[in-house]
Amino acid sequence: MPEQSDKSNPPEKELGLAPDPSPEEEPRIGVYVCNCGGNIGDVVNCKQVAEALRNIPNVVTSHSNMFMCSDPGQKLITDDIKEKGINRVVIGACSIFLHEQTFRQAVERAGLNPYLYYHVGLREQDSWVHYNHPEDATEKAIRLMLAGVAKARKMEPLEPVRLQAEKHALVIGGGVAGLRTALDIARSGLKVTLVEKSHFLGGRVAQWERVFPTGETARTLLQRLLEQVQAEPDITIHTGAKVVKTKGYVGNFQIHIRQQPRGIKADFDAVDQAIAACPVEIPDEFNYGLKTRKAIYQPYSGCYPAGPVVDWEHCTHCEKCLEFSHNHDINLDDTPIEFDINVGAVAVATGFRPYEPFPGEMGYGKFPEVITLPQLERLLAADGPTGGKLEWNGRSVRSLAMIHCVGSRQVDDVHQPQPDGQVNNYCSRVCCTATLNAANIIHERLPETRIYDVYTDIRTYGRGHEDYYTLASKNGVTFLRYFVEDIPEVYPAEKGSYYSMLVKVKDQLTWGEEIELPVDLVVLAVGMMPNPVDDLIGLFNITPGNDRFLLEVHPKLSPVETSVVGIVLAGTAQGPMNIQESCTAAAAAASKVVVLLGRGQVEMEPYVAQIDIERCQGNGDCVRVCPQEDAIKLETFSKNGTSFQRAVVTPANCNGCGVCVSTCSHRAIDVLGWRLDDYEAMVDAITAEIPVLEGVPA
Amino acid sequence: MKSDKIHVDTLVVGGGIAGMQASLDLANQGHQVALVEHSPSIGGMMIGLSKVFPTLDCCSCITTPKMAATAHHENIQLLTYCEVQSVTRNDDGFSVQVIQKPRYVIEDNCTGCRSCELVCPLDLPDVENEFGRTAHRVIYVPFTTAVPQKAIIDIDSCIFCGKCIKACPADCIDFTQTPQTLRVEARTIILATGFKVTPYDAKKEYGAGNLRNVIDAMMMERLLAPTGPYGRVLRPSDGKLPDSIAYVQCAGSRDETLGVPYCSRVCCMYAIKQAMLISGALPMADVTIYYMDIRTFGKGYEQFYQNAKAMGIEFVKGKVGRIVEDEDQNPIVRVELIDDNSRVAENKHDLVVLSVGMLPGYDTQPIYDVATAKDGFVQIPDSNVAPTVTTQEGIFATGTATGPMDIVDSIITAGAVAAEASAYMHLHSGSPAAPAAD
Amino acid sequence: MTTQDRVERKKRNEMLTNLRKQHPERVKISQAKLKEQRSIRKTLQQVLKTKPHTIPQLAEATGLPAHQVLWYISIMKKYGKVVETGLDEDYEYYLYGLTRETE
Repeated sequence: MPEQSDKSNPPEKELGLAPDPSPEEEPRIGVYVCNCGGNIGDVVNCKQVAEALRNIPNVVTSHSNMFMCSDPGQKLITDDIKEKGINRVVIGACSIFLHEQTFRQAVERAGLNPYLYYHVGLREQDSWVHYNHPEDATEKAIRLMLAGVAKARKMEPLEPVRLQAEKHALVIGGGVAGLRTALDIARSGLKVTLVEKSHFLGGRVAQWERVFPTGETARTLLQRLLEQVQAEPDITIHTGAKVVKTKGYVGNFQIHIRQQPRGIKADFDAVDQAIAACPVEIPDEFNYGLKTRKAIYQPYSGCYPAGPVVDWEHCTHCEKCLEFSHNHDINLDDTPIEFDINVGAVAVATGFRPYEPFPGEMGYGKFPEVITLPQLERLLAADGPTGGKLEWNGRSVRSLAMIHCVGSRQVDDVHQPQPDGQVNNYCSRVCCTATLNAANIIHERLPETRIYDVYTDIRTYGRGHEDYYTLASKNGVTFLRYFVEDIPEVYPAEKGSYYSMLVKVKDQLTWGEEIELPVDLVVLAVGMMPNPVDDLIGLFNITPGNDRFLLEVHPKLSPVETSVVGIVLAGTAQGPMNIQESCTAAAAAASKVVVLLGRGQVEMEPYVAQIDIERCQGNGDCVRVCPQEDAIKLETFSKNGTSFQRAVVTPANCNGCGVCVSTCSHRAIDVLGWRLDDYEAMVDAITAEIPVLEGVPA
Repeated sequence: MKSDKIHVDTLVVGGGIAGMQASLDLANQGHQVALVEHSPSIGGMMIGLSKVFPTLDCCSCITTPKMAATAHHENIQLLTYCEVQSVTRNDDGFSVQVIQKPRYVIEDNCTGCRSCELVCPLDLPDVENEFGRTAHRVIYVPFTTAVPQKAIIDIDSCIFCGKCIKACPADCIDFTQTPQTLRVEARTIILATGFKVTPYDAKKEYGAGNLRNVIDAMMMERLLAPTGPYGRVLRPSDGKLPDSIAYVQCAGSRDETLGVPYCSRVCCMYAIKQAMLISGALPMADVTIYYMDIRTFGKGYEQFYQNAKAMGIEFVKGKVGRIVEDEDQNPIVRVELIDDNSRVAENKHDLVVLSVGMLPGYDTQPIYDVATAKDGFVQIPDSNVAPTVTTQEGIFATGTATGPMDIVDSIITAGAVAAEASAYMHLHSGSPAAPAAD
Repeated sequence: MTTQDRVERKKRNEMLTNLRKQHPERVKISQAKLKEQRSIRKTLQQVLKTKPHTIPQLAEATGLPAHQVLWYISIMKKYGKVVETGLDEDYEYYLYGLTRETE
């Protein structure tokens, strides 16, 4: 398998060898200390650091600057390279995660190999942690910079490992975000495979009634998107499918997919009879348990792909449905299929699930009159369990209370934590406008119905959202405000009361007065939680944040990229978003995928293990400890008639972790760019006497 | 030297963060881009900010590298100090007439050394970048991190003393320059025309801009920025270190009387951020935020708000009815305290910051025939599914041109617009762009 | 100075004179501004020569409004004529003094 993929993707450069040794040139080092707009400069005396480095051997020039990363800052470096013949660059600044690429590009622009620049972290590793000790922080900065100079003396030019990339992307998730991502990638000329774990596309949006801010029904919106996706020849869709195994890296991921069969042919013509015949009844997740469904089902008519499927988990194989099956239209012995695809990048669009209140939380699960906002949406939907009528116990709802921030903006010691011990301390963004939208729809259909809106802050932040708030006020919705320390209580009214439920609110709009709201129905505006994706987190080595949503690298610099190059985030897998925001994020994710794969080639860091064949004794310790597959192996060589084994590295599979280096008792392995000698020189420099400098003003 | 006819795939209008990011994303996909910016430097509103929420990264550290990357990208042509005059449709897309305004400095030769600025005798209030709180000379480089680093002359204020000519080591001063017309042929156009803030002097009740120690939040950003007019937070009337600072939220948003009924999305977060930065810069100062609803809805924002509360920043739910000043120019805020039986209080502060909102920066109707909605921002007909597609085929919009949004959202919509424009070009020609600029 | 230099200088001065003639109103306004700025800067420098002052102290010593003093000081600071020398006794105002170069 790896051999095969290596052959199909021949690396451009001969791998496993050291780059051509550069002509022995005297290191001429330029040192640059960035104030980082005060982030460093307010603590570390940057001028003093630059001064201290000035007279160190090989240092040709040393500066401090307010913003090294700005164009004038970069020009300082490129001018020095061109005019002063600088051939090594040491920059003390923020973190490499922010600006390694920035400075590499600058150095390269000036004609220097980009790997002849070394970045010293003076912000995270110095000024931010030692902000109370400016003098010590300055000394530490000098020591760190000296170590950087010691490293710079030993740096050698390196070339990135260039590999062919599959012009093919995988999108995981078939909700609006996944659909949008797939569409945008395909439209820019790449192939897309979309996998959706359920048997139908459309995700959570399919369950919604009317959406803000356009006022159209969710179905219309979805239909439009689905038609475009179906019309795109470069998109392949697999529903009922899951990623079960992965291998590889950006440009060359091998994805193993398992797909559940549908069990029923698409053109089966006795759907209703077969469904009616099925004796199984389970809660219908599409309607959030408000009704039941059979083990042969389709979520709604007009779903895509069309036609029902067999619910393998709940099917009892009673075969009653087979009575209506001709020509093997129903196949209860159908088995999953498994297959591999090769893709260059992956977009994770796994979406969200609504917060599920704990049993008894505001009466949820205890009183049938307490429902969630997604359940309310099903009650409002024309194809919902009540055909769109808002009825309770056979009569129209006369009065209802909608309570915001259920499962959002939670605080420790007030709310019950999730199994991981954390409460949901984030805002879910969409619930305020969604609640007001629902309130307005109810008012439109049942103008006499009394609506109470119980909130903490109304966050109708988006374009057009405030109109929903204004309209709700105009519609006579009564607003009450609670503080998180006084969560509203929900309990049944005395038997025989006109309204069956009571909601007690300590209302801050009437200066803390306790108000009891008599209602027929209580709607909990539940927040968003990420769909559980622990399997994908493990498979792709991506990271969730404290809020359990998948984490981007940096909200502004790499807002949809994960820490694994080639894996991007689309939509609510990353955090709460409404439809518009999901589609925007999805399109942005598509943009990054096209940038990555459009040229059919990807570059990887040159920091890979390298064997000193003279020192290697072929004992294989490195092979045993290597955590990667096929990165290092023993091969047989022969010399003077004797054959022996030596370790050989496949750079494309090596991630430069260095475990092999630490195991080798013969010091026969180094990671390029990070040789053991480099570390020793740095340690020596960091512990050496430092030049004393006094009287340099801050 | 710029040629007077440029062929590109996409013309991006506006060099703020959204325009730069859209340009970079398209250029990285191999498309040829021309970026037009009406000011002498790219960077937009963002380059004027201090630190940015929720990471508290120094703003320059996010913006300036993007500015540099944009300027140095082989697929991007920067047209700064330029304005689009007219747009006509042709078979391949658009023919756009652009006016290059004269800098009176030969752009290709100027190195941004500032020798001219140092000898120029006359100071002019720096209205463009510092709200007039400090000055630049008649000839000046717009700001220290400007891209391009090129000087420019405010010709209307020049006394033609000739000192700059003598000082310039590269012989760049050229008083004979006149506006030049360029023609850009583009297959698509992206409008990233940004926002302006709601005027802080619009509200009579808040002193109509006549109270020296009532400023707006953009001005506060400059006071907090290390490159700002004083290099620290001082109040404008007399340079005092303020001890008590108040924020008035929704001062220019959610206000029918100003014709701005919508929420501007960013003000809650920037006020909280500024309050935190003030607490860092002036540890003894009290900061109060008068608000109606706190809307910290973005990723990590609610936690940011809770941190601010824990730091001791005071959040007071109240309606600020009026701001006056006492004889020492201390602002007095008259506020109805909602959580305190709607008692009306008069609180004295050293400095009051109005959390102003966002207005569209540019009307896209006249030149681009791109419809705007009733809020004045670019109309997006299918805003849920196609959030960057305007009413004109081949013209897309991104960032705050399409409504108030923060930097994170602007950057994401910029990625989205790049995807949309790229898909459109792919669909309408089938082949990726031919790299060409004649 | 070579003959060529002299010719260049003459040409330049002629051009500048012409430019001034072309825009007499604008130039007049700016020249008046320049005169005012020079005199205020001179006054401030004279006061600062004695010892560092706060903005209100400078305002009192010169009779100028405090906000205007602050404007001038911010510019003088920007172009390296003035530096902050510390805080006043009440930690309310910064003191400004001349840089060595300006003294």
